[in-house]
Amino acid sequence: MMILGTAFGMVFYLLQVVSGESGYAQNGDFDDAELDDYPFSCYSQLEVDGSQHLLTCTFDDPDVNSTNLEFEICGALLDVKCLTFNKMQEMYFIRTKKFLLIGDSEICVKLKGKKITCRKMNVVKIVKPEAPFDIRVIYREGANDFLVTFNTSHLQKKYVKELLHEVAYHQEKHENDWMHVNLSSTKLALLQRKLQPDAMYEIKVRSIPNHDYFEGFWSEWSPSFHFRTPEITGGKMDPILLTISILSFFSVSLMVILACALWKKRIKPIVWPSLPDHKKTLEQLCKKPKKNLNVSFNPESFLDCQIHKVDGIQARDEAEGFLQDTSLPQPDESEKQRLVGGVQSPTWPSEHAVITPKTFRGDSPLGCLAGNVSMCEALVLPSSRPPDFRDGGKNGPHVYQGLLLVPGTTNGPGPTPFPFQSGILTLNPAAQGQPILTSLGSSQEEAYVTMSSFYQNQ
Amino acid sequence: MFHVSFRYIFGIPPLILVLLPVASSDCDIEGKDGREYQHILMISINYLLDTMIKNRTNCPNNEPNVFKKHACDDNKEAVFLYRAAHKLKHFVKVNNSEEFNLHLSRVSQGMLQLLNCTPKEDSKSLKEQRKQKSLCFLGILLQKIKTCWNKILRGSKEH
Repeated sequence: MMILGTAFGMVFYLLQVVSGESGYAQNGDFDDAELDDYPFSCYSQLEVDGSQHLLTCTFDDPDVNSTNLEFEICGALLDVKCLTFNKMQEMYFIRTKKFLLIGDSEICVKLKGKKITCRKMNVVKIVKPEAPFDIRVIYREGANDFLVTFNTSHLQKKYVKELLHEVAYHQEKHENDWMHVNLSSTKLALLQRKLQPDAMYEIKVRSIPNHDYFEGFWSEWSPSFHFRTPEITGGKMDPILLTISILSFFSVSLMVILACALWKKRIKPIVWPSLPDHKKTLEQLCKKPKKNLNVSFNPESFLDCQIHKVDGIQARDEAEGFLQDTSLPQPDESEKQRLVGGVQSPTWPSEHAVITPKTFRGDSPLGCLAGNVSMCEALVLPSSRPPDFRDGGKNGPHVYQGLLLVPGTTNGPGPTPFPFQSGILTLNPAAQGQPILTSLGSSQEEAYVTMSSFYQNQ
Repeated sequence: MFHVSFRYIFGIPPLILVLLPVASSDCDIEGKDGREYQHILMISINYLLDTMIKNRTNCPNNEPNVFKKHACDDNKEAVFLYRAAHKLKHFVKVNNSEEFNLHLSRVSQGMLQLLNCTPKEDSKSLKEQRKQKSLCFLGILLQKIKTCWNKILRGSKEH
């Protein structure tokens, strides 16, 4: 029993000794303070070559003599306990697929097989993404901006897929005046108004893990891209727009000119029609006589005509009284004398007599131009059958059916019969000896001629 | 008299200490927030399942009895995953591709890294594990592991 108890005691003692602190130096040359003499830093790059990962470590002090120094990683590895780094110049790296990617690993610096300094690291927390590449800048004239696009290899990776990108750009002549923009996608639009016109710019981009599980450092900058911003041309217009503007201007000008030119003749009568003028309407409506007759109601055109005003349809007595009166109008004096003489002779020259109704006095008398046969052509007193008149039983001025016939002066050719509803009597001189009379409408009351009846006749 | 007391003093307490872990089979899952599973383990499980789809055309529909005995029951999810992780180790073979073996190892060791438990392996389960080495069983096992992890994450979100 004593022996058994002693054995147990020794076992416990040895257990305590064996399970001493790790990193205990046997030769005692290195103290805890000297662990900081070889500070180092590492970063990992996952799936850098297919499914292979890369872990790189370097000493922070570049002057460290790393001749006999090694790096080793233990823990969080698949199927192995530890892996040794490869050395290339001053850099230590390991390329492997055997990272577990869960849990912490221990990276130690070893000198001749003995661990000098160690640091606990998690491979997924020291991820340094690969640098973006293929950065391009395209000017979009329609949007007045610059579209920046770039590519990254992490879009096809399984683990580190979500990254935060930083785009930096500056004007080349301003070396340290960099502008920075952060984005999670691979496209960025830079507004033209925020850049200087006609200037040379440099642009580049880098990435960092933007993940709730993977963390790390900024990648290296992508290769720079240079582009020039266009000049500001304020007066430059789209050729199509310019053509349309010019054509529109000329069209509008032409329309304005045509409107002004045709205003009075065409546009105004349609827009603001004028009330018809009776005089002008009648002139337009009346038929023109075949033989150069000018119809006119202007009193001035009758200056050369013998106008005898009729004060109305008078009774025979008054007519006789009038006839006995010698105060006849001057233009008719000669005519009257001739007529008187004509009456006394057995022959009766064919003459024309004019009867002008009272209503025409002062108004637009029938025009009777010299040499023209017009509406004012008078009754033709019968000459071949004086007995008819003599049947009237009177000498001197002729009276027919109670109407006073006043002789007129027409030396022209025989007039054509011109029918009227009322007011005018015409005698056709072609049938000599035969008085041709046209009655004034249906009754003597219809001697007044109105403009409307003329219009209606036409 | 002295010999009897010495035996009880120095013999029994160590025995109790040794037997204590055997009696308790509580496991603790460290990755309950699901980040390790979603970003690492699930990628490897999906790779394995996608690779095995071609070779699992003639698998039987019935579920092996071992899954009825060891299921992802409530409060026993960690134990199930622990056992499943150990079972996965047996499927690492030389004739598999390197990529396949690596993902198998990542799922197995990853889960063991996250599960802080050491239940005793009984000889019966070891025999069963040695029997089940077909790809059909591996496929079912991986599906069960996925389902159990989803259950754990769903439960942690509700809490």
